[in-house]
Amino acid sequence: MKTPDRKKLIPSIIIQTIKIYPVILILIAFVVIFSSLYPEKFLTSLNLTTILRQFVTLMLFAVGPSIVVVTGSLDLSYVGIWMLGGILVWFLKPILGMYSILVIPVLGLATGFLNGIIHAKAKMPSFILTLSLLVIYSGLTATIAGGIPRTVKGYDFITADFIHGIPTAFLWTIPIIIVAIYIMKRTRIGIYLYSIGSNEEGARLAGINVDKYKILAFTISGLFSGIGSVIIFQHQGGSVPVVLNLNTVVYPLVAIVLGGTLLVGGSGGPHRTILGALTFTVLIRGLIISFLDPTMIQLIVGLLLIVSIVVGSRGVKGVTVT
Amino acid sequence: MVMAMNDSIMEIKGVSKTFDGIVHALDDVSIAINKNEIVGVVGENGAGKSTLMKILVGVYSPDNGEWYYRGKKIPFPKNPKEAVKRGISIVYQEKGVVPCLKVYQFLFLGHEDKYVRLSRLNINKMKKYARDILEEFHVKCNIENFMYELPLSTQKMVEIARAILGVRLEHEEDDITSVIILDEPTAPLTIEERRELFGEILDMKKNASFIFVSHIIPEVMEFTDRVHVLRDGKMIAHYDLSKEKVTEEDFFKAIVGKESVEYIYKQAEIKEFVSEETVLTVKNLTKRGCYYDISFDLHKGECIGIFGPTGSGKSEIINTIAGLMNFENGSLVVKGKEVKANEPPHVRLTRGIGYFSGETGKELFLNWPITKNISIVNIKKILRKFIPVLNFTAEKKMAERIVKQLRIKTPSVNAECYALSGGSKQKVSVGKWFERSPAILLLEDPTIGIDVGARDDIYETTLETKKKGISMILISDDPKEYSILCDKIMFIKHGRIQKVINNEKFKQEVTK
Repeated sequence: MKTPDRKKLIPSIIIQTIKIYPVILILIAFVVIFSSLYPEKFLTSLNLTTILRQFVTLMLFAVGPSIVVVTGSLDLSYVGIWMLGGILVWFLKPILGMYSILVIPVLGLATGFLNGIIHAKAKMPSFILTLSLLVIYSGLTATIAGGIPRTVKGYDFITADFIHGIPTAFLWTIPIIIVAIYIMKRTRIGIYLYSIGSNEEGARLAGINVDKYKILAFTISGLFSGIGSVIIFQHQGGSVPVVLNLNTVVYPLVAIVLGGTLLVGGSGGPHRTILGALTFTVLIRGLIISFLDPTMIQLIVGLLLIVSIVVGSRGVKGVTVT
Repeated sequence: MVMAMNDSIMEIKGVSKTFDGIVHALDDVSIAINKNEIVGVVGENGAGKSTLMKILVGVYSPDNGEWYYRGKKIPFPKNPKEAVKRGISIVYQEKGVVPCLKVYQFLFLGHEDKYVRLSRLNINKMKKYARDILEEFHVKCNIENFMYELPLSTQKMVEIARAILGVRLEHEEDDITSVIILDEPTAPLTIEERRELFGEILDMKKNASFIFVSHIIPEVMEFTDRVHVLRDGKMIAHYDLSKEKVTEEDFFKAIVGKESVEYIYKQAEIKEFVSEETVLTVKNLTKRGCYYDISFDLHKGECIGIFGPTGSGKSEIINTIAGLMNFENGSLVVKGKEVKANEPPHVRLTRGIGYFSGETGKELFLNWPITKNISIVNIKKILRKFIPVLNFTAEKKMAERIVKQLRIKTPSVNAECYALSGGSKQKVSVGKWFERSPAILLLEDPTIGIDVGARDDIYETTLETKKKGISMILISDDPKEYSILCDKIMFIKHGRIQKVINNEKFKQEVTK
């Protein structure tokens, strides 16, 4: 390969990056549109902090499932883990004291493992499986909570102000994302998960224990959702809703797909979800500022999900694994 | 010239096609098809055969070139439907059959609109026409059968009949002669099935013309009237087999431009690598309905071929050893340790049994670069010592070594595999196993569907790997492959071993 001269190097890097992450263009477009339409509202420090806060929620929910999506499956149980985990903290606090917060990651781990076992061994489609589990968990949540949202106090230290102006939850997100990317890119587990999503039969023939790694993918996803839920739980004031909100389920999915991870598996991953989540948050904030009717926002989100899946699946060959 | 001018059905002249303005897929290619003849097109993968065929059926449009239909100049077809209207249809190599449809449903698939009466299908009329056309072409099958119930060769025949039917239904004139393109029609068939299919095609010649795309030279020599040889997008040679005497070697040189490996490797050399040490003992292995009482010893550095027709149990045996199937009776001893019947492939791999299947795309991760495709079975080699983290530099070096060894044509090791030619894809997927070097390597059709040049490269590397003391078991459709690679050949029929002979004897028997 020839070394391009210095003047051409920077534009070529930019073009290369945009080819791999076309969502950057959409992100820039959204920022430009919203800041020129509503300059006095969009580019305020308050709004930017809000974007960051919502990005955190979205990202923490999406990071686990984007690992599962790489294998060609789907994991929707994150909201269930968050809701049931949150209410269990309230339920167990009198017994376990401060340690009861640990119940969320444990629940996540167990749920992921359960999902993986049933999906891999009973060959149940992961979408139906995790959706059912989500419904079961939200039902359990409502039962335990008695139908009223409960608030738990005493975990303020998790999101205590660390650097002024930047939500502490955001700071928590950074190591979580780095660990997820590290697993997917730099370890054997990652390369095996990509191989399963890309060509399951081929992975089996290459001597990979496909069932084991599928279970592992769900377990890792569950654990990430569990850890993320701890932060989201405190991020939102130490309480969880007791009624399932479809938006919280769909938004992370949009973030994953918008980032360029294909639902058929084999490419993408957590690193792409960062951009997807950021773009999506900017869009949502922009739409909220615009005083659009909330139902209209839902419509746009639905359309966006369909369009990005269609665009993504048409461009299968153009999407690089990196 | 005996042939009258009006015998020519269609002719293309000076066709060129480039992709992305760089790759010359076709360069000034001309081809003519006359009435009632079979024209062969041969060449390596990547020589431009498929591109030429796709231009003929209207999938691609050429950069320049002319199209003559019965002497008149007309533009190239814009899409497959237009090509069908001109009488040209194609039968693809694979995936052309819809297994869950009945024969007559499949025959009319896509042409049902000709049989609609008050928005419902006139099934009786369809069935009658289906029977007629199958009779015309001597295809023996019941139209009420499902496609998957038919033998592979009959499925191919039905596909060909469907292509001709499509031409007739779509064309307005009655006297249309169909030109049917057969894109490697014999790839999934055994030798007997091939013979059967060719008998039928020769029969059909009365009613249609064929373009026969293949890289199996003996077939082409036997069944075609004229042959075009493509290499690197150029028309290298044109033989009229009824007039000239052409040998297999002539073809080989024209296609590849060099001598074949069989003449380089002498049998005596192969023998030297075999040692006394036994790595695999198979004793009375039985799975009812597949194979019975299979016993043999595999020594270090030895290659055993299992020879027999499809359905004889040869692939079941190799799949059993690979761990893809279980067995019912008998024992399997790997390096002195008896293994359980139901072990999955990944456990067998830890015992040193690697399995490679040449079936197209089965093993390859198409959206991955070459580096990852190779490291997938060699991860342990590229992990760092202290923390289990991938070492990308080592990964790249490993891939570069294999690319060089197998002479894979690629701009870089980071090129994604879907962009490679068929032969290079195969080389990548078999190359990862050579790098892994398991004690026992099972090869199922290692060179299926690839051209002679790539075959030679794979044979050469296989023999080199064998020299290192790797044992192999081979099954294949090509008798030549056995004579090049194997020390011993087991003949198998109806799931039972008939006889075991050495390479010398095998050569004599096959050439007889």
